[in-house]
This record gives sequence, structure tokens and C-alpha cells, in this order.
Amino acid sequence: MSRAPLWLRRYAALIRNAWLVDLQYRASIVLWLLWGVTEPAVALGIWWGIAGDGQVAGYARADFARYFFALMLVNQLTIAWDSWYLDGWIREGELNFRLARPLHPAHEAVAENIAYKARTAGMIVVVWLVVSLVWPAVRLPLAPGRWALTAAAVLLAAAMRFFISFTTGLLAFWTTRATAIMELHAGVSLFLSGRLAPLALLPPAVAGAAALTWFPYMLAFPVELLTGAAQGRAVVTGFVGQLVWLGVWIAAYHVTWTRGLRRYGAVGG
Amino acid sequence: MPPAITADRLSKTFKVKVRDPGLKGALRALLKPRYRDVHAVRDVTFAIEPGEIVGFLGPNGAGKTTTLKMLAGLLYPTSGRVAVAGFAPWGGGPAFKRRIALVLGNRQQLVWDLPPEETFQLNRAIYDIAEPDYRERLAELVALLDLGDLLQKPVRQLSLGERMKCELAAALLHRPPILFLDEPTLGLDVTAQEAIRRFLTQYRDRYGATVLLTSHYMQDVTALASRVLIINRGRLLYDGALAALVARISRTKRIELVLADGVTREVLAGFGDVKEFRFPNAVLEVPREDAATTSARLLAALPVADLSIEDPPIEDVIRAAFAGGIELDEP
Repeated sequence: MSRAPLWLRRYAALIRNAWLVDLQYRASIVLWLLWGVTEPAVALGIWWGIAGDGQVAGYARADFARYFFALMLVNQLTIAWDSWYLDGWIREGELNFRLARPLHPAHEAVAENIAYKARTAGMIVVVWLVVSLVWPAVRLPLAPGRWALTAAAVLLAAAMRFFISFTTGLLAFWTTRATAIMELHAGVSLFLSGRLAPLALLPPAVAGAAALTWFPYMLAFPVELLTGAAQGRAVVTGFVGQLVWLGVWIAAYHVTWTRGLRRYGAVGG
Repeated sequence: MPPAITADRLSKTFKVKVRDPGLKGALRALLKPRYRDVHAVRDVTFAIEPGEIVGFLGPNGAGKTTTLKMLAGLLYPTSGRVAVAGFAPWGGGPAFKRRIALVLGNRQQLVWDLPPEETFQLNRAIYDIAEPDYRERLAELVALLDLGDLLQKPVRQLSLGERMKCELAAALLHRPPILFLDEPTLGLDVTAQEAIRRFLTQYRDRYGATVLLTSHYMQDVTALASRVLIINRGRLLYDGALAALVARISRTKRIELVLADGVTREVLAGFGDVKEFRFPNAVLEVPREDAATTSARLLAALPVADLSIEDPPIEDVIRAAFAGGIELDEP
């Protein structure tokens, strides 16, 4: 018998609870939305000023506008906060009841991600639509093929960022500084994943080094797919990079989870 | 029928980082970490039959909760064997987890911001409970635990006792045959404690469930468990009937007094062993059989403002058990 209906019911219940909790904290939803909009807006403002009427590494003002609006959306669709949750679960003993249930705790984390992303990204799409009515520069071409490819790249990036965040959170089995490691990761990703500037603007040596890491594949690649900056060969290498790094992080998660559980002190209660 | 729970030479050793105080200590710990072995549980062996309620006693840090967590599959034993409901808990997977409930007094699964019924609905989905079964079980739990109008109130607005009752309901919706309860009555008032005890007995009687519970309250254990396991520093010291233990160890009662003026420690010493004296409060220890007559003598002879007769605290009984070097009953 298919177990799909069971999993659908489980995910529906988990997502429903996540939304019900969100509704208790409506002000924080607005704050998160502002946070999600502010960083790309500031970066756009800076590059807008630098570009002036000319171009920077092939990017004119309108290109920057499209890039950062796409970034805003892709970032909200792929961001993962799981290391913060997990760190708390492990250090404060809240992992205990989750381990005693016949459901891997990662499913709760995935459901939380879906709930968060559906809510926040939904709001950003609305913001984008409103802005594009008055500002044609941020409009994107209606090309179903490219949108489909982007959807696939966003899904892979979201999966990769989830495993990165979850695995880093699992380091709390060994250290009390798991969230600091995640902060460090976020700091590096600011430069290497394309959050501050399109990767084409990085010095060639830095861009070359970044290409050897997972950072460009978790954000810059899906953004460039969406804006149309990634074409031909870059699309293929982008997907290959995403698949390879996703595999690496899934493996890292497996090792960390199994070893961490064996080490677990099950603190508290 | 095979035992519901067996532990065979079960041990758990934690490696704990040793750090000297101060900056120097922190630096040394960073460069050259040192570790110390903490033997939380050592060679513990016991078997619990289906339908038994067993009290697990011991002072803080004795190894009770660690043992419970190994039985529930949360912790990986360093050595020894465990079988619970026919499963090795570690790696027992979903099939094993459907057969147990684990309730930890101070770490709860109810979603803080939502009414308890939302957690119940979530568990219905997680444990795959059919809607009619869910309705029937919920109605039963609401009646047994007197949950009434609590189901729709946000958890954060519930009292500690109400939360624990809802916590038990959430943990038992899938009707597990084996319950591990860690301090289920901790911090509750007397009425709530009694309600939880009554409920546990009824649940056991109806479904033949096996219950292993830890508690600091002697009343929990006397009301629920005919058998106790006593553990200290990771070692099992006693496995047997509670009555036999109390008769053997607790041969005294405590008379707690609030005195009026003019009574000295020396005067009190004439009535029994003075355990505490901080005027106007005093605690006397007297032989169990003399408690009533000594109390009458105290009331007649001294200006007593208040008097109560208590069993020694569970910690004292256990301490006496260690001092007496109780022989572990053969399993």
C-alpha cells in the first residue's frame, strides 16, 4: 500500500502548526520581510550609484535592478535557519521527545522550511509585482523554459542550503559554538554566493576560488538563471555543480547525524 | 510471556571535558583537552513484566534518567543489552517508537503557543491514528484526565498541572503498551499529583501497560508501584518490593514542630533524636511505632504551636539504603 497519503497528512499537519505559530507572531513576520528586502535593496543602491549611466563588468543599472530583485526572491526561497533550531534542540534537550517519535526530526525541519518559504516568498512576489508595474527595469522575460529551469535550480539550492544548515546545527553534538560556525558560513557566503554583488564583479582569482566551492551554486546560479545571465554551458556546469555539492552535503549530514546521535548526551530532562 | 523490559549489564559512560578555571585553564583546554570518564550507569540488570508499574528511585545524578533514555532508544549504551517490547531500542525504528511513550517532566512536546489540541492533531498524523480511533481515545483521555475546556486554551496559559495532564494525553494518544515517565509529578500541587497517579493506575488497568517511572515523591511510588529499583552512582542497589524496603530501612518517623517560647534543644533531646533545631522550628526523629505516643507527650509537656508527623524524605530513605548496604535481590 502506498505510504504517500500518510506523508501528505504528516506534512500538512506540520506545516499547519508552523503557520499557526507564525500567526501568533505577526509582527515578526513583517520584521523578517523587511530584513529580506533591506539587504538586497542596500546592495542595489550601492551598485546603482557606482554604475551611473555606464556599465560595471557588463552590468548596467537595469541589470543590477533585475539581479537584486531576483536575488531577493531566490534567497527567501532557499534560505535555511535550521542550524539555529537544531542547536537549541540539542543543547536544551528538546531533541529528546523528537527522537522518541516515529518521525525523523528532519521532517519537522523540512516542513518548517516549506511553511516559512511559502509565506515570505509569497509576500516578496507581491512586492515584486507591485514594483514592476511602476518600474519596468525589474520585469523578467516570460520564458516558460527558463522559469522551469530556475524552479529546478531553486529546489536544488534550497535542498543544499537545508543540508548545510542542518549539518552545521548537528555540530552542537560536539561544540557549543555551532551557530557561530553558521555565522561564519553566512559571512563568507555574503561575498562568494553573490549576495553583495554578481560574481562577475569579483576579482578573477576570487571568482575562480569561489567556483570550487558550493557558494555560487546555493544562490548566484539560480539568480543568474532567472535573470537570463546564465546561458548555454554555464547552465550545464551550474546544474552539475549543484548536484555534486548537494551529494557532498547529504553525505556530510549522514555522517554527522549517525555519529552525533551515538555521542548524544541527551541533556536535560 | 517474555518480560516487557529487560536490561542486562547495561552501562553508559560519558566522556567529559575537564577544564581548570580562568583564562589559563580555557587556553589549556583548547590546546590540550583532557577528558574524564563519568560512569553514569554501571552494569544494571533487571526485568519488568508486562503490566507492572515500577518506581525508579535515586538521588539527582544517580543514573535514573540516563537509564530511562537508553530504554527509550535516545542514548546508545556503552555496553550491555536492552530489550523493550521485543526490540533493541537503539535502531528499533518507527515500529519500536509506536510502542513506547516517553514523558520527560521538564521537556515537553506541547507546542507552547498553540492549544494542546493542535499538538494532539499533529501526533494523530505522526502516529497515523485513524480519525474514529483518535476521537474515541481523545474522549477517553479527556474524561480520565479531566481535560474539559483545556483543549482550546494556548499551552502558555495553562498551569503546570494542566500542562502535565495534556502532556500525558499527547504521549498516550497512540496507546503505547510501555510508558517511561521521568518525574511526571514534579512541581505539581497535591491535587494534580493525585489526578496523575489515579490516571496512570487506570491506564495500566485498562490496557495492561507497563510503566517505569522516576520520582522524587515517595507518595508517587507508594501509590503506584509495588516494586522499586534503587540506583545510586550508576549502580542498582535494590530491586524488590517497596514495603519490604520501607520496613527494612525506614524504621523512623519525623515529628516536625513549631515551638512557642522557652524550649531548648536539650529539652527536646529528651523526646527523641533532634535532627534540626532552628527556633522556633525543630525536627525530631523517633522510632516509627513511638510516633503517636511521643507526639502526645510533646503536646502535653511543651508549648507546641504546631506539630506534624512525616515519613522521612525519600532522599533519607535512599541514603539509609546505601548506608545499610542493601543486598540486591536476585533477578
